[in-house]
Amino acid sequence: MFAQFTRVARWCLVLLLCVPVLAGLVGVAFPALGYFPAIGANTLSLDVFKTLFSLKDIWQMVWLSLFTGVGSTLLAIAGAFLLLASFYQSNWLNKIQGLLSPFLVFPHAGAAIALLFVFSPSGVFARIAAVGTNAAIPGAGDAFFPNDPWGLSVLLALSLKELPFIILMALSVMSQPLVKSKLSGYIKVGTALGYSPVATFFKLVMPVVFAQIKLPILAVLVFATSNVEIPLILGGNNPSTLAVAIMHWFNHIDLSMRLLASSAAVLQVAVSGGALLLLLGAERVVIYVGRKRLAKGNRRFFDSFVHGAAHGTVALYIALIGAVIYSVLMYSIAKQWAYPDLFPEGTTLLHWRTAVETLATPLSNSLLLGILVSTSAIALVLFTLESEHLKPVGKNAERAFSVSLFLPLLVPGVAFLYGLVWFQQLVLQDAVWFHTYIAHMVYVVPYVFLSMAVAYRKFDIRYAMVAQSLGKTPWQVFYHVKLPSLFSAIMVAWALGLAISFSQYLPTLLASGGTIATITTEAVASVSGSSTRLTAVFVIIQAIMPLVGFLMAWYLPAALVKPSDKVRSLKKKSRAVLHGA
Amino acid sequence: MQVFFFSCIVVLSVFVVAKPAVGKTNDEAAGEKTPLVRFHAWGGSAQVNGYLQWVAEQVKIRFNIELQHVKLADTSDAVSRVLAEKAAGNHKNGSVDLIWINGENFAAMKKHDLLSASWVDELDNFSLTNPDENPAVTKDFGEPTLGMEAPWGKASMVFYYRSAHFYTLGLMAPKTIEELLRFSQKSPGRFTYPVPNDYLGISFIKYAALALNKDNRGLFYQPANDKSLNAVLPSLWAYLDALHPTMWQQGKHMLRQASQLQRLVGTGELSMAFSFTASEIPSAVTRFDLPEDVRTYSMQDGSLANVHFVGLTYNSKNKAAAKTVVNFLLSPQAQAKKQAVEVWGDDTVLDLESLSASDQALFVEDNIHPSALDKSQPTILLAEPHSSWTDALREAWYERYGARY
Repeated sequence: MFAQFTRVARWCLVLLLCVPVLAGLVGVAFPALGYFPAIGANTLSLDVFKTLFSLKDIWQMVWLSLFTGVGSTLLAIAGAFLLLASFYQSNWLNKIQGLLSPFLVFPHAGAAIALLFVFSPSGVFARIAAVGTNAAIPGAGDAFFPNDPWGLSVLLALSLKELPFIILMALSVMSQPLVKSKLSGYIKVGTALGYSPVATFFKLVMPVVFAQIKLPILAVLVFATSNVEIPLILGGNNPSTLAVAIMHWFNHIDLSMRLLASSAAVLQVAVSGGALLLLLGAERVVIYVGRKRLAKGNRRFFDSFVHGAAHGTVALYIALIGAVIYSVLMYSIAKQWAYPDLFPEGTTLLHWRTAVETLATPLSNSLLLGILVSTSAIALVLFTLESEHLKPVGKNAERAFSVSLFLPLLVPGVAFLYGLVWFQQLVLQDAVWFHTYIAHMVYVVPYVFLSMAVAYRKFDIRYAMVAQSLGKTPWQVFYHVKLPSLFSAIMVAWALGLAISFSQYLPTLLASGGTIATITTEAVASVSGSSTRLTAVFVIIQAIMPLVGFLMAWYLPAALVKPSDKVRSLKKKSRAVLHGA
Repeated sequence: MQVFFFSCIVVLSVFVVAKPAVGKTNDEAAGEKTPLVRFHAWGGSAQVNGYLQWVAEQVKIRFNIELQHVKLADTSDAVSRVLAEKAAGNHKNGSVDLIWINGENFAAMKKHDLLSASWVDELDNFSLTNPDENPAVTKDFGEPTLGMEAPWGKASMVFYYRSAHFYTLGLMAPKTIEELLRFSQKSPGRFTYPVPNDYLGISFIKYAALALNKDNRGLFYQPANDKSLNAVLPSLWAYLDALHPTMWQQGKHMLRQASQLQRLVGTGELSMAFSFTASEIPSAVTRFDLPEDVRTYSMQDGSLANVHFVGLTYNSKNKAAAKTVVNFLLSPQAQAKKQAVEVWGDDTVLDLESLSASDQALFVEDNIHPSALDKSQPTILLAEPHSSWTDALREAWYERYGARY
């Protein structure tokens, strides 16, 4: 009975992830081929693609998308493995995890705005540089940050945001019992043969870890090539990246531009696919070169460079986080704050009041959606994982399942979301909450699954066996044994789902037609406004909301299980699970 | 014990989740009693948002209408939305009731029949705009409105600058389009304008075209064609070719949204900019978004002026309530509140002469802010060119300077 039920849940999960994405793709494929009856386009042809490729800047846009996407991912991978190589055997690793965790849940739009505060010619760093000089007017915006035509500021911002994610993925793999014992064996061998820790890491540990986190890294890559918020805020526009152009064309006042937008969305799928091939190709080259070096017997691997770069990266993050917190907090309460002063003239709560007055509805919408989405995602994911245990499927089915799990992350959002809206208009046009819920689930479920899957694999199966041998049914085992012992992991996955639901901009806006205002849609709308101070308030609120979820996840299980002494250890434990995200 | 707590949490979360959903259906069932009107309007300004919140409170008290301000980052999002609904055959149950538009958003909605027609004359307060004497309220960028949208406010282009910067630079604020170029050449990087997709961006280009073609001005009030374009473009290109390399970021990157202009003047990265709402400048100063040394003025060679409107979609399900809301927006109380500088400062579309003395008194303001426009100075108003010029100028601009998204 219960086993049957979990199998149904598994199918629901696959359908939930695949149907919206595929429907969305169909919804852009037809207009891309010139079929869009609403504006009187009824014939199928390739003319739209011809128009697209005849655009002067189109290849430059494709190049920018590829360059910023692949470049930032490579930089983030390099940075992440440098950090791991340098710190994987030290106590610092925990501190670095703690330092980087907030970056994971900080929405992209908020991160881009925060970087703008810090790096712009009137930002904190420029102000510090101007101390002691007579400069009364900030630089005239000819530095490379922001909005440079080469896409370097976008690349930098994307990699700053991706690096923590990759590190946390790698750590979650390295902390799995099976992998952990294998790796510690490798490390012992490496050490015994006289390899430096850094060389041991690159020659023995990294190949194992990288293979395990390849799929999430590819998802990061697709995201980076098709992200809208960061290039919109930090990128140049002569031309912009392809994804920004797509959004622009979809929203263009001349409605026939939607045909062009749809064909560009198809091109975006190809560009992201091309980026995947590039990265996989780069992986081949690294493997080939790595194999040659492996047998050479060098006991060191640029050790001092690796340590230097790793420490530099940590220092950069500390400086950035400090500067971001300072400038965002100060701007949110500042009265007049002229360049190059380091402190505002006075403080006021005016901007907080303005924001709070308008926030009641968006806040309750965000919470309602987030709790609804995250709770049901957890339930679905738990039953799906349970069905894996109760009735393992074949290898091919397993592979198909993991691809469908990553489907929403491997297909660029700008490509399928617009098509999805068209599709949703055909069925149940009034059910905006339902549509928004589905659009959120598509993004929340994969992450919740990844987070929970790690915890499930760590669960000691012998407890379940003992319970079963005492005559308990699968449901009883699930409910009385597994759920309580996985409680803290469930809470963390729940908080993660909440955070991801909170941060959705494009899916919320498109699926609800703007009728469901959330904190994030309000924040992005406020950035289009003119008030730096109000924007700062929104950035803070955006950062705090997911953190509240995580604080609950860290302290609630501990408080419920054993009030006092276990808080610390449980907090650590659940943090480690968070890194499965 | 844990199991018990866990079950409690599950049960509680089910309640939390289920309860509002139940409440929602109740709302919809009670739809007959309090009609919901969704007003899609740009949400990037705290003043506008605050004013619309006041309107929502007023129509709730006066007419028991629920007004929801759907805050848009870009008005064309809502236009696309209505189009998508039309495409899907949703002709009665649209998600957009009222929409704040003018210019080409209106032209696009008119072209695709996305608006209700001839409803504006039904409004009692529309006569207060004196439409017979005042054709600006029935023509939107030269395009007849056919009663599809009601006038809401009026704006003209003003420039503002950081007097402290100009003092440091030893320069005077430019008063004509030619002086603007000389200023930008003397002090590069301190001025820019948004891309022509943006409302203020195309407005700047129109202003430049009008100001640089004083002898050909008549051409702008007829539909644009190749001949008229060839007559006016050379002087515009010569001007912009000279201006761009001297602008912010050497003109390589231009702002996507006008509101960013104010932000950059606020941080000091720009020394001057322009706006269509003179009153937003003093009000930004009082909110600390602009420094106290900001001063506002109109260019001596003319100031582009236009009216903005509220449209009613063809597939709104609460048309009667929506019309009540628009009628309220046109009432002297609502218009006076909107014109007050501390609220929004958007000029009224009502003809003050045709109001009663007590209603006229609502519009009188005493305290003039030092950063505000000096309205005692005469201003030459330049009417908006025919709406075909918007596309023609924009396309020519993109053709020459590249598509900037």
